[in-house]
Amino acid sequence: MAADSVAGAHLHDLPEPILTQIFSLVEDVRSRNAMALACRRWRCLERSTRAALALRGHVRSPFLLPTCFAAVEHLDLSLLSPWGHHPFLLHYQQQQQYNYLVDQVALVAARLAQAFPGVSSLAVYARDPSVVAALAPLWPGLRAARLVRWHQRPPNLPLGADLAPLLAACPSLASLDLSQFYCWTEDIPPALQEHPVVAASLARLDLLCPASNEGFRSSELADIAAACPNLTHLLAPCVFNPRCIEFVGDDALVALATSCPRLSLLHLVDPATLSPARGDSDAKEDAAITGLGLEGFFARLPQLEDLALDLCHNVKDSAPALEALSYKCPKIKSLKLGQFQGVCKGTWLHLDGISVCGRLESLCIKNSADLTDSSLATIARGCRRLSRLEIHRCDKVTETGIKKLSSMLRSTLVDVSISGCQLLDATRSLRALEPIRDRIERLHIDCIWASPDLDQLPQTPERTAADDSDADDVYDEIPGESRNKKCKYAESNHDDIESSCFWFRTWARLRSLSLWIPAGEVLTPLGDAGLLSCPQLEDICIKVEGDCRTCPRPRQREFGLSFLALYPRLAKMKLDCGEAVGYALTAPTGHMDLSLWERFYLQGIDGLSLYELDYSPPQDKEVNQRSLSLPATGLIQMCSSLRKLFIHGTTHEHFMRFFLGMPLLRDVQLREDYYPAPENDMSTEMRVDSCSRFEEALNSRRIPD
Amino acid sequence: MGGNSNNNNISSAVGSGNSNAKLLQVLNVRVVGSGDRVLVLSHGFGTDQSAWNRVLPFFQRDYRVVLYDLVCAGSVNPDHFDFRRYTTLDAYVDDLLAILDALDVDRCFFVGHSVSAMIGILAAIRRPQLFLKLILIGASPRFLNDGDYHGGFERGEIELVFAAMEANYEAWVQGFAPLAVGADVPAAVREFSRTLFNMRPDISLFVSRTVFNSDLRGVLGLVRAPCVVVQTAKDVSVPVSVATYLKDHLGGRTTIDLLPIEGHLPHLSAPSVLAQALRRCLTCHHR
Repeated sequence: MAADSVAGAHLHDLPEPILTQIFSLVEDVRSRNAMALACRRWRCLERSTRAALALRGHVRSPFLLPTCFAAVEHLDLSLLSPWGHHPFLLHYQQQQQYNYLVDQVALVAARLAQAFPGVSSLAVYARDPSVVAALAPLWPGLRAARLVRWHQRPPNLPLGADLAPLLAACPSLASLDLSQFYCWTEDIPPALQEHPVVAASLARLDLLCPASNEGFRSSELADIAAACPNLTHLLAPCVFNPRCIEFVGDDALVALATSCPRLSLLHLVDPATLSPARGDSDAKEDAAITGLGLEGFFARLPQLEDLALDLCHNVKDSAPALEALSYKCPKIKSLKLGQFQGVCKGTWLHLDGISVCGRLESLCIKNSADLTDSSLATIARGCRRLSRLEIHRCDKVTETGIKKLSSMLRSTLVDVSISGCQLLDATRSLRALEPIRDRIERLHIDCIWASPDLDQLPQTPERTAADDSDADDVYDEIPGESRNKKCKYAESNHDDIESSCFWFRTWARLRSLSLWIPAGEVLTPLGDAGLLSCPQLEDICIKVEGDCRTCPRPRQREFGLSFLALYPRLAKMKLDCGEAVGYALTAPTGHMDLSLWERFYLQGIDGLSLYELDYSPPQDKEVNQRSLSLPATGLIQMCSSLRKLFIHGTTHEHFMRFFLGMPLLRDVQLREDYYPAPENDMSTEMRVDSCSRFEEALNSRRIPD
Repeated sequence: MGGNSNNNNISSAVGSGNSNAKLLQVLNVRVVGSGDRVLVLSHGFGTDQSAWNRVLPFFQRDYRVVLYDLVCAGSVNPDHFDFRRYTTLDAYVDDLLAILDALDVDRCFFVGHSVSAMIGILAAIRRPQLFLKLILIGASPRFLNDGDYHGGFERGEIELVFAAMEANYEAWVQGFAPLAVGADVPAAVREFSRTLFNMRPDISLFVSRTVFNSDLRGVLGLVRAPCVVVQTAKDVSVPVSVATYLKDHLGGRTTIDLLPIEGHLPHLSAPSVLAQALRRCLTCHHR
């Protein structure tokens, strides 16, 4: 940064306006913090040029709001503590002292407006409409708003009342993000219709909230489209089920396209696809959407770049429609199709179906029962620019198909996700990606450990050689020809040769790994499957799903997190056990309760030098409880390098206090971002006061760095 | 003094003693529902008042329900747990009576689970007029076996629980993870201790000693209030003989209500069955 150059001139000597300009271009928060520590002048400059700020901490004392960030344009208030509570709430008894609340609101609002005059993009946890009513008028020039609510919609609220204050106060609103905001589908159209000016200026509307399991009906969709003709980005769940009244079919799609011809990003999904659990996709009925209808639809959306149609009902013979897509929507770059059959037959030498869309960069195919290896090969021939591929529950796809595709798209493919395919377990998926092993950056696989002998490679002495850290570096310097030799070996598929070049399997560029693992399985076979060496891996996301009550008891004592210590740069982990269901306190005799399961899953986490952990505890569905148990708290506490900890659930105050013993911990929050979030009055452990006490204790510690 | 929902009584009680008001806040006292009669729900060790969440809707309409957390509950600020004060159950009784005084309650129905049942019994001895009826769920005057008395636990089994807790305590003190959980101890004690391990290791060790050392058999006869002993058909922690012992020895008119469910935590595992049983007990009021 500060470089000595000719005649010892220093960055510091640059005139103020230029330095300001330079500072305002830096976006990374940690760099900015470092800049602010250099000297007072730089601190002032940094503060006055920071453009985005997420406020944490309690808005109890308005005088604590920072006023030096005058240039902030993006303000995030949705993470204020305690998470999910009314931002102006002083005390849990506040509800009675109504007068004080009104004054408090006015005071805090005025202070916010004073501290951040230039806000153009706001995110706020809007528990009830009063929050938005207080904040929206402060910034009438607001261009983007994101509302968050995982709690239940307040009862007796008139339709559209959540949004009305925002739409009334901000006439130039261009982007409205409700993807984390729970409300009813009936709330949206009336709100938009009552404020036609704002609706007409809206360009981005995101309504994909996983909390609600209802979609918009065709009339609602038509109303929204009619109210917002200038939309360029629309994401909405729709009722595609032809058995429901007012389902969305061909006509509704065409009506949408006619009303909003400028759409460049359109995601219409069936609400069932938004739930965090993997559903089962048995042979479903047909959708009311046909290929012909789709052709008409595409014809009216020439600007389309990003399309997602994720259904739970079959769309048959979609190949002609997809070919039409490529002609009518020449800009199409990203495509996600759920339950589309006949996507690409690939039977002849010519390109058909989706492979005609030569400009595609990102492709996601879900639940396509007739997608075969030759389809994939044809897609690879046609979509030469593909950089991201996701395949979910395409049961005819085998290892050979993926391998062919990845070798053909070697120069562009960097992001692959393979999940739910019967013929592709973990080992086979990894073997299939052999051609791009040194290029792939993001990967998702399911941790299905198959037991056929072919996949279990013997533990030979080569394994110990792999422990030498030098081995990988040495290998990377070996020139191309022996890499080709290795590819040849990999393709020949002999057991003994496989095992001898096993430890050459370095995933040189893999930065982000995502795993799905059924409840009761362990993680340790991941090395045998082929992911032993990932020198650049920083970010891992593990999702555990299943019913802990009925799955067989695991034979090992540990899930195997300690295995991840093999990845030297691993810093960020997301461990999502939220879809693992079990008994919290009421396990019948012989069953494991959730405290035992948490102990199983978290054992070994102290061996990882993690910087950030996002943990969702397993849940007891009977009681809607997602709570940390004693062993889980103790184990997390031992992860001494952790700086940021986010628990997506609740816990006792007694257990929260454990975290104070972690020396580097800076940022802890309990975020119950699942629906329905527990209402705080009667609910379990973390109450407003507990949160505040804990945070005071946390903030008053001295941090070494 | 009926009122609608939440915290009406708390603000009116502020005048009646600063320390009592502070207690209301510390122990997360909540008053919900509306009705002439007051119902106090008191949870057992290791859980907190949220354990009553699924039973509560059955009573909100007809009773003013008072809920509170015991001082050792995981949701109470652990700084308030005074190790010198809470050596026996009497201190918990003091807390309960202080809460009821602060809320100006002069007559109430009391539902206590497990150890709270013991607390209720002691409270009823101290203030006979205060409790119209005691409903005791999974109650036992003494957990350890003693000669002919079959309390349900052997000294050896209890020792194993203490050993596990001590291991947790050692680990916690040294900064390691306390790893023992309720399911690690022998089956006979398991269900009971599952909740005991749900607190901070030092508090839970201390509290367990209190629980297993207490013996109320001698004072049962001093209770005057009518009691209902609610027992599940298969509670590993509390044998049916204990329920009979209670019926025989409690001073007031006592009945046993046997529920066809299993487990030590019926308010969590079968709340609707328990709620029906509670309604029966509360409405059939002998005076």
